[in-house]
Amino acid sequence: MTAAVRQIDPPEHRFADELAFLAGADAGRRPPGWRMTPRNVVTFVAGSAGVPVDGPGGRRVIAPKFVGERALVERCVVTLAGERGLLLVGEPGTAKSMLSELLSAAICGTSALAVQGTAGTSEDQLRYGWNYALLLAAGPSEESLVPSPVLTAMRDGAVARVEEITRCLPEVQDALVSIMSERRVSVPELAGRDGAVSYAAPGFCLIATANLRDRGVSEMSAALKRRFNFEVVPPIADFDAEVALVTRQAKASVERGGADFAVDEAVLDTLVTAFRDLRTGRSAEGWEVERPSSVMSTAEAVAVAASIGLSAAYLPGPDPLSLLPGHLLGVVRKDDPADAERLLAYWDGALRRRAEAGARMWRQLWEHRDVLRD
Amino acid sequence: MGATEPRDHVDRLAGDPRVHLIGVRHHSPVLAAAMPAILTAFRPETVLVELPAEMQPWVRWLAAEGTVTPVALAADGAFYPFADFSPELAAVRWAREHGVPVDCCDLPMVDPAWRSREPAVISAGPGLVPGGPGLDAGRPGLDSGEPGLDSGEPGLGEIVRASLTGRDGDELWDRWIEAGAPGSSPEAVRRAALAAGWALRHDARRHGIDPLDLRREAWMRGRIAAATGRVAVVVGAFHAPALLDAEALVEALVEARGGEAPVVSLVPYTFDLLDSRSGYPAGIRDPRWQQAVYENGADPERIRLATHTIAVEVTRELRNRGWPAGPGEAAEVARLAGDLAALRSLPTPSRGELVEALQSVLAQGAPAGVGRGVARAMENVLVGQRRGRLAAGTPIGGLTPAVEKELQRLKLPGPGKAAQRIRLDPLRSPTDRARELAIRRLEVCGAAYGDAGETGPAVGGETLTTTWRVQWTPPVDAALAVAGVHGVTLEQAAAGMLATRRRREHRAGGPTAEQALTGLARSAACGLGAAVQDRLSDVRRAVTHDGTVEQIVTALGLVRRIGRGHHPGLVEPVVGADGVLEEMRAAAVAAVSGLAGSQRVEDARALHDLVRDADEAGQVIRLGHAVRELATNGSPLMRGAAAALGVQLGQVEPGEFGQLLASWAGMDSGDRLRGALSVAGAMLQAGGEVLEPLLAAVERMADDDFVRRLPGLRDGFDVLSPADRDRLLATVRERHGGFEDRLVADPVVLAGWLAADRAGMAAVRAVGLVPEGGVVSPLTAAGDVVAAGDVVAAGDLSAVQRWRLLLGREKEQLSGGQQRLATALDELYGTGRGEGSHTVDRGGGGTEAPYPRVRDWLTDLEALFGSDVRDEVIARAAERGRVDAILAAEPERVRPSVDLLHAVLSLAGGLPEARLAKLRPLVARLTRDLTRQLARRIRPALTGIGTPRTTRRRTARLDLAATVRRNLHTVRAGDDGRPRIVPERPVFRSPGRRSVDWQVILLVDVSGSMEESTIWAAMTASVLAGVPSLRTHFVTFSTEVVDLTDRVDDPLALLLGISVGGGTHIAAGMRYARQITLVPARTLVVTISDFEEGFPIGDLLGSVRALVDDGVTLLGCASLDDRGAPRYSTGVASQLVGAGMPVAALSPLELARWIGEKVR
Repeated sequence: MTAAVRQIDPPEHRFADELAFLAGADAGRRPPGWRMTPRNVVTFVAGSAGVPVDGPGGRRVIAPKFVGERALVERCVVTLAGERGLLLVGEPGTAKSMLSELLSAAICGTSALAVQGTAGTSEDQLRYGWNYALLLAAGPSEESLVPSPVLTAMRDGAVARVEEITRCLPEVQDALVSIMSERRVSVPELAGRDGAVSYAAPGFCLIATANLRDRGVSEMSAALKRRFNFEVVPPIADFDAEVALVTRQAKASVERGGADFAVDEAVLDTLVTAFRDLRTGRSAEGWEVERPSSVMSTAEAVAVAASIGLSAAYLPGPDPLSLLPGHLLGVVRKDDPADAERLLAYWDGALRRRAEAGARMWRQLWEHRDVLRD
Repeated sequence: MGATEPRDHVDRLAGDPRVHLIGVRHHSPVLAAAMPAILTAFRPETVLVELPAEMQPWVRWLAAEGTVTPVALAADGAFYPFADFSPELAAVRWAREHGVPVDCCDLPMVDPAWRSREPAVISAGPGLVPGGPGLDAGRPGLDSGEPGLDSGEPGLGEIVRASLTGRDGDELWDRWIEAGAPGSSPEAVRRAALAAGWALRHDARRHGIDPLDLRREAWMRGRIAAATGRVAVVVGAFHAPALLDAEALVEALVEARGGEAPVVSLVPYTFDLLDSRSGYPAGIRDPRWQQAVYENGADPERIRLATHTIAVEVTRELRNRGWPAGPGEAAEVARLAGDLAALRSLPTPSRGELVEALQSVLAQGAPAGVGRGVARAMENVLVGQRRGRLAAGTPIGGLTPAVEKELQRLKLPGPGKAAQRIRLDPLRSPTDRARELAIRRLEVCGAAYGDAGETGPAVGGETLTTTWRVQWTPPVDAALAVAGVHGVTLEQAAAGMLATRRRREHRAGGPTAEQALTGLARSAACGLGAAVQDRLSDVRRAVTHDGTVEQIVTALGLVRRIGRGHHPGLVEPVVGADGVLEEMRAAAVAAVSGLAGSQRVEDARALHDLVRDADEAGQVIRLGHAVRELATNGSPLMRGAAAALGVQLGQVEPGEFGQLLASWAGMDSGDRLRGALSVAGAMLQAGGEVLEPLLAAVERMADDDFVRRLPGLRDGFDVLSPADRDRLLATVRERHGGFEDRLVADPVVLAGWLAADRAGMAAVRAVGLVPEGGVVSPLTAAGDVVAAGDVVAAGDLSAVQRWRLLLGREKEQLSGGQQRLATALDELYGTGRGEGSHTVDRGGGGTEAPYPRVRDWLTDLEALFGSDVRDEVIARAAERGRVDAILAAEPERVRPSVDLLHAVLSLAGGLPEARLAKLRPLVARLTRDLTRQLARRIRPALTGIGTPRTTRRRTARLDLAATVRRNLHTVRAGDDGRPRIVPERPVFRSPGRRSVDWQVILLVDVSGSMEESTIWAAMTASVLAGVPSLRTHFVTFSTEVVDLTDRVDDPLALLLGISVGGGTHIAAGMRYARQITLVPARTLVVTISDFEEGFPIGDLLGSVRALVDDGVTLLGCASLDDRGAPRYSTGVASQLVGAGMPVAALSPLELARWIGEKVR
């Protein structure tokens, strides 16, 4: 069988042999339904720190897939091992979804049992729906019932994932409360027949992700919150790792269009520094920076880098750095008009100080300040 | 050394037959628990403990039967706290029980080497175990955070770190020793600790080891050599590797250089102070946890049980704070902590696992809401309340004798001496500086020793000398006894008192901007560098984020003085003052937009100062933007000020500004002029193109026009000081060449001209060309030649006369009728404040008496300026506290306006009931009319609120489409083969009215003064009260919350029921709103405030978060009026937005629309 080329390969395929290796590696105790020991799940996600791991067919070094604190991954794994819900919260663009995919791929071998939360998500997608044609023809039966990914995971003892749970309407979210406390779903339409009640097999657990910036859109109820352990996933802490990520993705996006990515490394460094300063509210030197309320995630940095790359490729001319102020303004000016002022304050503060200290890139940026005047 | 295996080094250190090294951290429960076993196994003949030699006499009291930990040994410059879990104390106790002598083997404190380190560090790294703090964080390169500075290779610490578990910020010692040790044999614990010490020292060697440490180690080697027989040495793990080396230090060397012996004393301590977050030196995180580990003998199973207890206690504490948490959560915490430990191959959960589990399960990723509660609960439970006690008979040492000695040295009166008056010149004389510091520090300790004299320290002033009346009163003794727990010198005690206050503020969620500023000022006055640094960071956080503009300006001044070294006591330069200044300026610029709605001249002046300051500092881009914004969107006053500042910033041409000024002169209200003049007075005196257009405009006005605008103009120019006015008048006179002062022609000729004029006028009137009812000329009263009823011709008022009237100067040089105008206005405006006001003698050369009765004045005003102007003047008079003017006004004749109502109500607060009764008709009429107008405007936005919605509740109206959608799953094939739906879940439409019952809670800030927003809020509330399906609550808050809901139907009762004043405590209002909320999802809470919260901001954010979490819809109104330009604290507002409460400036109509939208 030849696999078609995929835009994005799910982790269970991409790391299939590593998963198989780790599953056989440790004979230690594993929670019911798990394919490998909790320790190996941590190793799979956070890497083996360069130390080879013994396993069937030799020793191999496991590369880290999630760049972040190991203790965070450990807490996630222990939470899931206790069959409790895990809620990953964080700013947009902090690889929450990736972490949840990796965890579910390692624990149950699939990351496909996922529900994407939107305002249009209905209870059907969290519990079960019907194949209406079959329902009309044959009435309610096991065949005409369409299980949701969550129900499938329950029956199989697998990990279900709910992305962006806070975007679902509160009444839809609350469908999860009964699933998580009673660990069964009853189908009243099938009452008295097989399958009227589906029970959770051991190993069933739930990973949800939520966006901190979506706060207040659809606040979770206290009852639901109590059924989750919360883990806050911070943005990428390492500057070099973030620059590498931005470069890689921006390059890929420009080259997909057939153009060459010719943006100087120093420009990207500057770009990422500016994003990090504005995101954290503190400059690399420790100066206070006023934080705009707009999201300044790595994903936005990639988009700006790609735009600069595209204009350098198709509309060569001005110094790519001169485009940066305008792009930053575009990123910042989303909902709060005061954010544009905060960007001006950044120019006044951290950026000017760096320019005065004589850093070349920052001096050039300072000279492009007129772009920001209105 | 580096070539051999680390293991060999540890073997060598651990295996010495005579010297039994026990490397410790100053607080280490596992080592303290293992200590008796280690010592019993070795049976030493002497126990050496790393304490300075001067502490030797105190060792027996330290270990005495009746001493209850925590206690601390205190000496000048060093502080050595002990708890049960201090390994040294365990060793000393063992020695006492087994009759083994203890030797304090550390370098004596008299050695000059101690002074080579700056004092702050000596107390921060207690001489006891500088290795201890080194393990914590003190030394670069030792902990994971900082990679080796001078080489690319990772240090041993980092390598070890990488193989350990736990979070990145955890301390290396905690992960290596404390987490791993429970259940190991005592000897294994000792070896592990020695290994950790060796690794740290190995890394430290790359940066060079402090010469003081080297000297101390040499001394200790000498003591070890001097001891006979088998010795056990309990020292910081960091020092242990150096103690087996050869050379020892000759004692004579030290004694030769020794100075005065320091005073040592033993004082009781508390867990609270022992916690490292208290800012106290040599502390440790969560003493109660450490105590629990010690008490359980570091036994894994018993520690595990202790985690369960703590988990339960934290959840209980959290529940008491109003967050949902129960046994289920506690069980999950215990499980998570236990499983984490298992995953990390630890024998039992350590503090790290427990903290991680608590946060994971309980904090819900919400730092503002429940996360705060969790942090507080954890602090309460894990820090503990334990207090130490001294054994009976312990010698009294401590603060009081030290202070007496100090005062004697400074020649200040001690106990039993008479009071003295002294004048100090701290900036020049070193002795005076020391005296000043002593007095200030006593003050901070709560001892009423010095009274500031009259010319004494002015608040914020830069006086050079200070005067004091100093006396040792009995309360001083009492205060020193209390402060004694913080140290044995005045400096320690003062630092301790300041730190305690700061900690208390932190615990309460603060410090607020106000507290931070006070703390900074006090720390600076006491010359306590470390406290200043701490407070500087507080100021940086609190003032830049939550400060009001006034606070930011105050902070700028204070920090600048500190940075420049204008505080006598601060010897060392303060680090980072420049950085704080820079941030403060940025914050000030950010706060400028919050001034948009200000009506206060002080704000305009503050803005002026900020602009000057930020301009110097180069923060111009954003400032320029903000000022431009103000110039277009601000209140009239701020618009005027911003335009004038635009000239200073180079955004506006002077000529352009001049034109603007001139155009404002023609407007009715003087606010714009007032704003512009409050910052641009000097610019006007310079004359030129700024002044020209204004002069021209004033001159070109027709007389009656001028007279009508005169009150407004006078109002505008009122901000100038008398001296400024004189200068301006001089400029005007110069331009007109003194035309006014002398007659240009012979008086006889002039009389002829006048007669001709009059004849002409008579002729014109004779043919009926003069309009009836023209303005009666006030000038007529001047000359008896002219009959009353004459009509003024333009130009009768000369330019200089006009300016005299405008500026309220040189009244004596005006003619009689003009004097009447001037007097009528002087009655209200007086003659100006500020520079030169002493030159003004009231009445001047005027012949007319001031108004004996207010009614006369009002009549005059109406006659002179017309009734519109009279009302305006009455409003102004009310603002200035002229109750009589208001009382004299006839309710039926005034034109209703919110301005007037506002002015009247501001007065009403301070009136006795008898006089209030007289005001009532006026207020009643104003309120009635204004509310009626408002209701007309906002009713349309609220109609039809009861439009139907779908519901599952059974009503008369079935929603067919929704029912079909909802019941598709029941479709069956019927007998005839057609699909059939069984509608088991019918959907209905709600009946129109009444079914939706929404609560609208208006929370109105009444701190400070009666604001116009408050009046609008009350009137809006009364309109909302008339809307059927809304239940309107009207709640006012300052530091107290008053619910006026029962009067909400009647705006008059509402307005008169409001009592203004007090501090701003928005959080209290929020909490009350939460209490009265019935159905959170159907509740709107509208907060009307300037958001200048006077209480800890965290509390406010928490209460907002709690409401949002409940599902309540929140809205913050920075102002509620017709202008839409608010005056508020932008910093706090933006944090509230982050917490889920949008903040906007709304008009009542917009508010009604918003409510309508939410409710529909």
